[in-house]
Amino acid sequence: MSQVYLAVAIAEVAVMAVLLIRLAAGPTISDRIVALNAMSTQAAIAVLFFAAFADRTIYCDVALWLASFSYLGAIVWSRYLERGLL
Amino acid sequence: MIEIIVIVLAAIGWAFSLSGAVGIVRMPDVYCRIQCSSKMITMGALPVLVALVVGEGPITVFGSRALLVAVLLLVINPVASHALARAAYKTGVPMWPGAVADQVADRRRGES
Repeated sequence: MSQVYLAVAIAEVAVMAVLLIRLAAGPTISDRIVALNAMSTQAAIAVLFFAAFADRTIYCDVALWLASFSYLGAIVWSRYLERGLL
Repeated sequence: MIEIIVIVLAAIGWAFSLSGAVGIVRMPDVYCRIQCSSKMITMGALPVLVALVVGEGPITVFGSRALLVAVLLLVINPVASHALARAAYKTGVPMWPGAVADQVADRRRGES
């Protein structure tokens, strides 16, 4: 079972590698934010599955933080784009 | 038996995640890419997390964390997508030339 978890974690990291193309080549800053948002979700899932593979409970909280605060970052970025710094 | 269910759910989620990533790379403008990314969460991330819940059980350490992450993604993702699309439209990111409808611009033209 734990081998399945490791395989899923590696597969999600491979999806992140595909998204890295758009992060590097996005013409506007909104493209990069979209790609970064999707990448951070995949990273949270990969961390969670790696925690289940390695049986480390403390990595779960990393996944939880990554999933919640990446979206906070996206919302803050879009507010900054819309209204400027303040 | 449980392992087969986990593998099938994870394969479904991974296939949708990969197709969403290819869509983000290949789509012509920001709005199409935002649509791809939200599909990627709903059909790509949720089955993978449900696979972890099925594999570990919902009350264990990893299963409860996976369930929490799934609920969090399901709640926050539409908010973030909407805010991002609105910000992109207001900062004047151009649409793809083949786009057929811009209802906000139509409405503004009707008011003025």
